Amino acid sequence: MRSKLEISFISISFIFTSILFLIIGSLFVIPSFEGFVNAFFSDEIQFALRLTLSTSIIAAFGVMIVAIPTAYSLARYNFPFKSAVKSIIDLPMAFPEIVLGIAILMLFGNPLIGSILHSLGINIVFTTTGIIIAQFFVAFPYSVRILYSTFNYVNPRYEFVSRSLGYGELETLKNITLPLAKGGIFASSVVTIARCIGTFGAVLLVGGGTYLKTETLPIAIYYNLSLGSIDNAITAAIILVLISFIAIFVLEKYAYQNIEGAG
Amino acid sequence: MFLEVKNLCVDLGQFHLTGVNLNLEKNDYMVIIGPTGSGKSVLLETIAGFFQPQTGKIFLEGEDITNLNPEKRGISIVYQDYVLFPNMNVFENIAYGLEKKVKDREVIKSRVYDMADRLKIEHLLDRNPETLSGGEKQRTAIARSLIVEPNILLMDEPFSALDVNTHAYLTELIKKAISDYQTTCIHVSHNFNDVWSLAEQVAVMKNGKILQQGIVADVFSKPCHNFVADFVGVHNIFEGEVVGKSKGITDVKVNQNLILHSSDTDTNDDKKVMVAVRPENIIFSNQSFVSSIRNQLKGIVTDIILIGPTVWVEVDVNGTTFKGIITPSSLDILGIKKEKEIYLSFKSVNVKIIDEEQSYSALFSA
Repeated sequence: MRSKLEISFISISFIFTSILFLIIGSLFVIPSFEGFVNAFFSDEIQFALRLTLSTSIIAAFGVMIVAIPTAYSLARYNFPFKSAVKSIIDLPMAFPEIVLGIAILMLFGNPLIGSILHSLGINIVFTTTGIIIAQFFVAFPYSVRILYSTFNYVNPRYEFVSRSLGYGELETLKNITLPLAKGGIFASSVVTIARCIGTFGAVLLVGGGTYLKTETLPIAIYYNLSLGSIDNAITAAIILVLISFIAIFVLEKYAYQNIEGAG
Repeated sequence: MFLEVKNLCVDLGQFHLTGVNLNLEKNDYMVIIGPTGSGKSVLLETIAGFFQPQTGKIFLEGEDITNLNPEKRGISIVYQDYVLFPNMNVFENIAYGLEKKVKDREVIKSRVYDMADRLKIEHLLDRNPETLSGGEKQRTAIARSLIVEPNILLMDEPFSALDVNTHAYLTELIKKAISDYQTTCIHVSHNFNDVWSLAEQVAVMKNGKILQQGIVADVFSKPCHNFVADFVGVHNIFEGEVVGKSKGITDVKVNQNLILHSSDTDTNDDKKVMVAVRPENIIFSNQSFVSSIRNQLKGIVTDIILIGPTVWVEVDVNGTTFKGIITPSSLDILGIKKEKEIYLSFKSVNVKIIDEEQSYSALFSA
């Protein structure tokens, strides 16, 4: 016999999950199959898909390279201004990503910094590099947050034992900590790549959203909706939903079931 | 001296060590006992090199290892919660440390099988640690630490998560393995049986300090501090004043109507001291008798408590409560019951005088 509280809570979860499902499902109902296929194989959507995937993979790879040592140091070491570092990393999660986009634009669009980078052959504003940088900084806090929790779950005594058996810090990280944290690292990678793919505001401001140059899938949705090309907009949205669905499916299946070494 | 810890101070916020001194000879087995939160585990982890002391030094065979990385100390550690690597099977766990030292796979395999045989876990080598019982996990953890032939093996309450039978079985097994490997051991425990069955040396810790260290029999029979006396089960500890000395006996006045006689003579007259009598040294009788026993007191039984196979009897002697321990059959034979008059006898050699100043300064500065 279920309690009233149990029935109420389960009902709420069912009702709102159904509404959410209805909202997402409506995307798949609106376009005709022919319209979807035409839009999918259009130059604009094909370019946006390739650009989104390539920049997201590069950005996510960069995020993981930086986020693992950052999260590990936050979880394991005490150092000056640690709280400040944590707060700064968390900050972009609290404000709209478009704000982060303006900030990146201001920094790299600054005449001094911009000219220095330009002289080094690095152009960031309104380029693919700019898209990667925007995706990087949008996804970085989420990645660090997941990895920080993961490393906190790995009992430091595993590392103590490994060190006491003759292995140095780096060897212990490689042999013990990273294998024990592999579930969390995988989860973080999936969330990071999903976040990079879905980044809109920051990418639009820093990359410029130029047609067939710096137009990613989220930007394609916005532009095509503004211009009345509903099939293109919805096709781009469906692609994003499918990518997200695959990411979440993989995450549920492989990541959460094996965060080892907890406790 | 094999291991020498000098004036070690560590501050980890919640736990701390304050001026810890510890000495250990090669192949000694030391058990550290003390209440929860006294800093026993922090001491082990500092000796292993996981925490840097604020002050103090650690010497191993005369070499200063205070700032040496943990992996270079040759000091292995075993924890209560086993800490077996879940990404490796039992064989790989045991072989892990050895693989750092030995490259020949055949040698590694043969030594792992030898160690597994000693600890009766050879049939478990292919198993995942999660599928093992508590005793099997602990034997694997000890095998993993012992196989690298460490300078010192540290064990942090290794048996406390195990049932009584497994504890007893493991004690014997591990005692033999450690003896075979001639390993110097420091073992943190809450269990006095571990002290008696394993240790040559015992140290008592409280509030981040070692209050007393020495040979087991000495610490238990001659506690230097009233906390140590209480902790190791002396129970009868009284404040008193030295009122006289004659013929190798010190008289300590505990209250207006009670003077105890001790064979400890290293105290000055008029000095305030603590006196301690172990419960098992008190003899109960229904009548006074003439003997060489110097302390014979008459009192009233105030309480009788059955604890396991023994009976604790509390007796009020002129306003001071003594606790003695007897068997249920002695209780029946003597007809001891509440409100009954009874005689307590104990030899002066069993009345230990504790220097009160020393004891209080240790407790309150701790």
